[in-house]
Amino acid sequence: MILIENISKSYGDIKSLTGINAAIGSGSIYGLIGSNGSGKSTLLRIMSGIMRPDSGKVGYDGKLVYENPEVKDTVVYLSDEQYFLSNSTPDEMARLYGSLYSSFSFERYNELLKLFGLDGGRKISTFSKGMKKQTAILLGLSCNPKYLLCDETFDGLDPVMRLLVKRILAEEVATKGLTPVIASHNLREIEDICDHIGLLHEGGILFESEIDTLKSEIHTVQGVFGEDKRAGDIFGDFHVVSENKRGALMTVVVRGERDKIEDAAKAAEPKYFEIIPLTLEEIFISEMEERGYDYSKVVF
Amino acid sequence: MSIIVVDVKSRIPIYEQIIASVKDSVVSGLMTADEPLPSVRSLAGELAINPNTIQKAYSELERQGIVYSVPGRGSFIASDTASIERQHREKILSDLAALVDEALKSGIDIGEIKSLIENKKEENN
Repeated sequence: MILIENISKSYGDIKSLTGINAAIGSGSIYGLIGSNGSGKSTLLRIMSGIMRPDSGKVGYDGKLVYENPEVKDTVVYLSDEQYFLSNSTPDEMARLYGSLYSSFSFERYNELLKLFGLDGGRKISTFSKGMKKQTAILLGLSCNPKYLLCDETFDGLDPVMRLLVKRILAEEVATKGLTPVIASHNLREIEDICDHIGLLHEGGILFESEIDTLKSEIHTVQGVFGEDKRAGDIFGDFHVVSENKRGALMTVVVRGERDKIEDAAKAAEPKYFEIIPLTLEEIFISEMEERGYDYSKVVF
Repeated sequence: MSIIVVDVKSRIPIYEQIIASVKDSVVSGLMTADEPLPSVRSLAGELAINPNTIQKAYSELERQGIVYSVPGRGSFIASDTASIERQHREKILSDLAALVDEALKSGIDIGEIKSLIENKKEENN
């Protein structure tokens, strides 16, 4: 369990994070979504224990991470830009990681190297951008961490590699109880693998929730209910998020359980109606609208 | 390949898709009584989806009596698949009843519906 309490961080006059609170359960895959400059990387750096926050604290299983090698031994941070020793090869980097992380497995390293199709003896400086990224990922996974902090890890990987990395992550979660935290500006890229998502905006977490719960709590009803009917008449018992009428066709976004919404819609004796789940992106937009934020400034 | 399929881009929650996929497999005879379901681990790896989501779907299937789990060995399709098939038949009949209602309301003649059913019967014989 990662507990983030009241984290704030400023760079001079620029406020990067303003009082972040979050609890990330072990074995969960947590997606941290935010546009550029929303504070994702700063939060991950603080979570990795390499940067000191102005206030607040980050703890893993009840132990603070900052300047605490015992906790850091279980946390791997994959930064957006990879750093390797100059002129080094993956094998040399593996020896470095092996000397730093007590759970590092050379067996796992060789296995992953083969899986990614990389040459462990070749100089990393001759690698492509994507191959460098793969090298960082496989070194990180070879450390057998309990917690893996990924900063835009899927960015710059081709679709085949992206799927491979997601598969490996899913397996590590299933077998070893790994807890990945994946920061990304692209909601669609991580919505399939994450079970929890937190939305970071202007230095604060706007909201966080379990994805499946989010998807089953809100629905779009589209139907022909008659000229004089308004959403409030039909769905009076529910929270109507938005309604829209185009000709005879009414589109209503309603909060509530699908079965109950369906019953209410049927009771209004429509000529036709259907219930459509929302995409995660649509849910985010409606959540932000309800909180009074302009979603057009947030890029998913 | 597993017979459990999901579309990660779909609007329908993944765990609901897994539940529906297992039910469909039973109804269509792809999976039979006491057959093991893919392990959470292998399915997570294969579909690149969250193992927690799969576990949640399997738990719900167990709650509904469609699968049972054996500690340390995984999940299996229920020994009695008759109730799943009965539920499925009931659903088809109620969907059909709703369609017939709609057809009658739209002024389609009952004779037309009957001859449609007769034609389908011949096609399937």
